Order: sequence, then structure tokens, then C-alpha cells
Amino acid sequence: MSETITKTKNQTKLKLVIDIAIFIAFLIAMDPRSSGIAVHEWLAVSALAAIFVHLLLSWDWIVQITRRLTSKMNSQTRINYILNWALFIDVTVVMLSGLMISQVVMPSLGISLPQNFTWRSLHDLSANLFLVLLGLHTALHWSWIADTFKRYIFQPLGSLFSTKSKKDITA
Amino acid sequence: MKTLGRILIILIAFAIAMSITYMAVNANGSTSASGLSFQGGGEDFRSVGLRPESQDEGSSVSGIIFGLMKNIIIVAFVVAMVAFPKNLMQQRRRAVPVRTN
Repeated sequence: MSETITKTKNQTKLKLVIDIAIFIAFLIAMDPRSSGIAVHEWLAVSALAAIFVHLLLSWDWIVQITRRLTSKMNSQTRINYILNWALFIDVTVVMLSGLMISQVVMPSLGISLPQNFTWRSLHDLSANLFLVLLGLHTALHWSWIADTFKRYIFQPLGSLFSTKSKKDITA
Repeated sequence: MKTLGRILIILIAFAIAMSITYMAVNANGSTSASGLSFQGGGEDFRSVGLRPESQDEGSSVSGIIFGLMKNIIIVAFVVAMVAFPKNLMQQRRRAVPVRTN
């Protein structure tokens, strides 16, 4: 029993760390004018690996909701599920269109792709949509984010300071 | 083994979505050329002025922070527009007294 609780706790911690990393990586990568095209491309490619881990950690939820999709379900969960699919498709479009107009990643692999303005406009459009979808995804998981931050970051930090202040008082 | 299977499923889903996008763009008929061409096969976006971001600009810390802040503000705005009304509605629902007969 306690083993399962510890496993869940560790998984939640890992999920939190990965989510924060993906969030920061995308926020930086979303502005290539300030971060530079090399940072933009390599960061986006490496964020793809983190997205894989994020999906693997949420696998049970994905399977559970997919199975229950046709039956009666909470409307918020349904919206969340549809939004997650939209996000997945949008990330795929962003990545593919980004690779098609790549100036750093693909040339470094020795591949030069023909110029195509459609990919460029598709990349812009899907990237702008991604920012909105990321906001919606964050908003729908806000209670989880707030709870996890409180439990694993703020509370340990608070207890650290309170023990320190207690020691100071006793000293 | 289970994880590998799951990774494979995610990869297949990615591949399907990518193939559909690629076919849709190609079917659009606006492609100048199809397929891959190896290095030296043409000009890049920068040289023809289609891609405004210049690689020569490089990445500056202040630039990254500015970009980060701008995107955080956009995401925070969307979060505030959705999360606050949602919380408010939940609080109202909780505040409604339960009738007992």
C-alpha cells in the first residue's frame, strides 16, 4: 500500500518537473526573434522527447477516458480530452512545418528542403494556436498545478524556513 | 516492454497526423517542389527574405527573457479568462444550500 503511494508521489513529482520543463522550453522557443533560430529549433526538437514522457506518464488517464468516451462522462473531462487531442495534432503540425522550413536542424543532418511558403504560414498559424491551446490546457489543469505546487514546492520550502526560524529562536 | 509498446503507439499517432498534414499541404498545390533535396539544392528562406528571424542575431539573455515574459503574459491571460470564472462557478455551486425535505 505504502509502496503504491510512494510510486504515485514520485510519478507526480516527475510529472511536475517535466511539465515545468516543457512549459519553459516552449515559452522560450515560441519567440525565435529573441532566442535565435538555433535555440528555437533545437529546443523545440528536444521538447518533443519531453512530450513523449508527458504522454507516457498520463497514459492511464488517456486509456481510461478513451474507453469511457461513448458512455456518460463529466463534460469538463470530455472537453479536456478533446482539447488534449487538439493540442497533440497542433504540436504535430508545428513540428512538421517547423522541420520543413528548418534552417538549422535539417541542414545539420545534411538535408535541405525546398522552400515553401505554405509550410511557413502553417507554422505561424499552428504556433499561434498552440499558445492559446497551451493556455487552455494550463487553465483546465489549474487546480492540479496549484495543489502539486503547494504540496511539493511551497510546503517543503515553508517547512524549511519554519524549522530554520525555530532553530534561530531556540539559539 | 509495456512502455516500448506505448511509445510505438504515440509514434504511430504522430506519423498519422504528420502524413495527413503533409498530404493536405501537397494536395493544396502550392508546393514549389516536392520531396527532399540534399544540401546545395536551393536558396533558403533567409536569402529570399521569407523568414524574418535572422540566425546572425543570435540569442541574447535579455531577448530570451523578453520573449519568455511576452508568452507568459499571453498564457496567463488565457488561464485567467478560463480558470477564474470556473473557480467562481464552483464556489457558487458550493455556496448554494442543499434543500432537505
